[in-house]
Amino acid sequence: MPGIPGGETRPGPSPVDRQILLIFSFTLAVALGQMNFTGDQVLRVLARDEKQLSLLRDLEVLKPQKVLLDEEREAMAKSRRLERSTSSFSYSAYHNLEEIYSWIDNFVMEHSDIVSKIHIGNSFENRTILVLKFSTGGSRHPAIWIDTGIHSREWITHATGIWTANQIVSDYGKDPILTDILKAMDIFIELVTNPDGFAFTHSMNRLWRKNKSIRPGTFCIGVDLNRNWKSGFGGNGSNSNPCSETYHGPFPQSEPEVAAIVNFITAHGNFKALISIHSYSQMLMYPYGRSLEPVSNQRELYNLAKDAVKALYEVHGTEYIFGSISTTLYVASGITVDWAYDSGIKYAFSFELRDTGHYGFLLPATQIIPTAEETWMAIRTIMEHTLTHAY
Amino acid sequence: MQPRRPPPPAPGSGPWGPRPAAPLILLLLLLVPVVAAAESESAEDRGQPQDARLQRRLLQQAARAALHFFNFRAGSPSALRVLAQVQKGRAWINPKEGCKVDVVFSTERYNLEEGEGHLGKCSARVLFKNQKPRPAVNVTCTRFIEKKKRQQEDYLLYKQMKQLKNPLEIVSIPDNHGHIDPSLRPIWDLAFLGSSYVMWEMTTQFSRYYLAQLTSVRQWKTNDDTIDFDYTVLLHELSTQEIIPCRIHLVWYPGKPLKVKYHCQELQTPEEASGTEEGSAVAPTELSNF
Repeated sequence: MPGIPGGETRPGPSPVDRQILLIFSFTLAVALGQMNFTGDQVLRVLARDEKQLSLLRDLEVLKPQKVLLDEEREAMAKSRRLERSTSSFSYSAYHNLEEIYSWIDNFVMEHSDIVSKIHIGNSFENRTILVLKFSTGGSRHPAIWIDTGIHSREWITHATGIWTANQIVSDYGKDPILTDILKAMDIFIELVTNPDGFAFTHSMNRLWRKNKSIRPGTFCIGVDLNRNWKSGFGGNGSNSNPCSETYHGPFPQSEPEVAAIVNFITAHGNFKALISIHSYSQMLMYPYGRSLEPVSNQRELYNLAKDAVKALYEVHGTEYIFGSISTTLYVASGITVDWAYDSGIKYAFSFELRDTGHYGFLLPATQIIPTAEETWMAIRTIMEHTLTHAY
Repeated sequence: MQPRRPPPPAPGSGPWGPRPAAPLILLLLLLVPVVAAAESESAEDRGQPQDARLQRRLLQQAARAALHFFNFRAGSPSALRVLAQVQKGRAWINPKEGCKVDVVFSTERYNLEEGEGHLGKCSARVLFKNQKPRPAVNVTCTRFIEKKKRQQEDYLLYKQMKQLKNPLEIVSIPDNHGHIDPSLRPIWDLAFLGSSYVMWEMTTQFSRYYLAQLTSVRQWKTNDDTIDFDYTVLLHELSTQEIIPCRIHLVWYPGKPLKVKYHCQELQTPEEASGTEEGSAVAPTELSNF
């Protein structure tokens, strides 16, 4: 489909405008990432100017009938699902955004002695971005950062994060290693790092990866939040095409979801470890992703990864491989852990959780708890090392 | 379900380098061992110079391509195999043309039941042509499931498929929570078989495909007792992280060669204000093996 003829100066709806409206509505279905492709057509429409773009945006209100019905059902079920305490929350099921945020509120209330929640910013579609803080007091303890869900389709990561949060409060006072860690350090967990994308995986497209930012000049939506960091930004392993799954965005930290974290970690100034959790492939990796160049403490990170992977394996026999990102997975630029490392966080790791492709992103819920249990042992290993190697 | 991976101690496995500059990177990596040798230590992951890592990746890619092809050619949805471990092999790289890989690897059954530990073994020669699809594959595997048992299971699957009520009211398999109803498992297995053909054709030394989800299924009545169905799959390509929708039409009867036709949606191309067309689409279009 060639570009819409320009030069529309007639005011009010016209036959041409109505035609455009029809075409745009098909396009919007594609642009919204509609998943069922049977019988669909892909039409490419290029907006030539702001007027056409705003016309396109007005069509946001037009949704396919199926989505509206789903939303109704969703609303009805919503009132049943929101629980008043975390004891009825199922850790072995996948939850949606409202459920997770409701759980967070209950969780913080029930463990207010060591848990608090922090609002670090808002997403592109203006959703709240929350971070859980685990602290036994003190001011500006050295800190550990964990994020899950930066890629919204990686549902096992949010589920693992939630289980881990609960594990921390359960184990505090019982597990000597975890207790020592929390006495000296604070832990921050951002469970839903990409809330807009996550909501979209529930409503429209289960395999959505990026955030939901839009920009003039393209009908493609979203930036890969794990390519938007200020470290080797725009290099190999990221894409300048806004339609690509690894689109890095117009400039580093252009995305509010990334900026929120950068601002928070920078302002805090005392983070010692950062763990960014993804799926799938069963890997534990450290910087760099942007090049094959090894980091200065490569040997230490290699050995730590080796120990962490061994601890993970001992839980359920799950085999992980490990190494730097560029040599283990692929070259990727503008990624979280590269930025963290360049910002002085020596222990920066990236996980790729279960599995290795059998179910991929659609990991059955029955694997949530086993995955979380084994991953916890690896995270704990990293945290312990960070504690005993203060810098 | 036990995940399967090579054991931890050997780091640096996985796919390939960046796609756009691939031949250049290949050339560069061939030159690197000279530099790496000169450095005292630490520069690389313990014990593995650059070219060994590249070799390792190519062996993995070749094993995958060979397995996709093997699965397709075997035409048996109850005897599908997945890669367990690359055991040995060698890759010859020609930056201009592509690479030739000889590889020996072990396999596991795709439909892994609890307690099963069957490992098959395969050896393959795979020829990747630079950036071109359809790697040439020559592969032989040891039998790990007895022929009679395989035939019985295929026939059972066939009967289950024939008994399904049409039109099938399925939105996706697995569902968004990763669940596959046992009654729908035959559909998934057959879809995986058909997708193997597609994934074989599309695998290159850099790109690696997985079947993410079936989003539509339709079975056709036939006059000759064959299974005939259309489905839409979403393939996940790891290096680009793209999700590629493909429409697949397959015709199957137990013991007979599988017939597959498919069409994959082209990747979104960069748009310019000028509205010019077709950038580099990676996925091949209408192809068949008839």
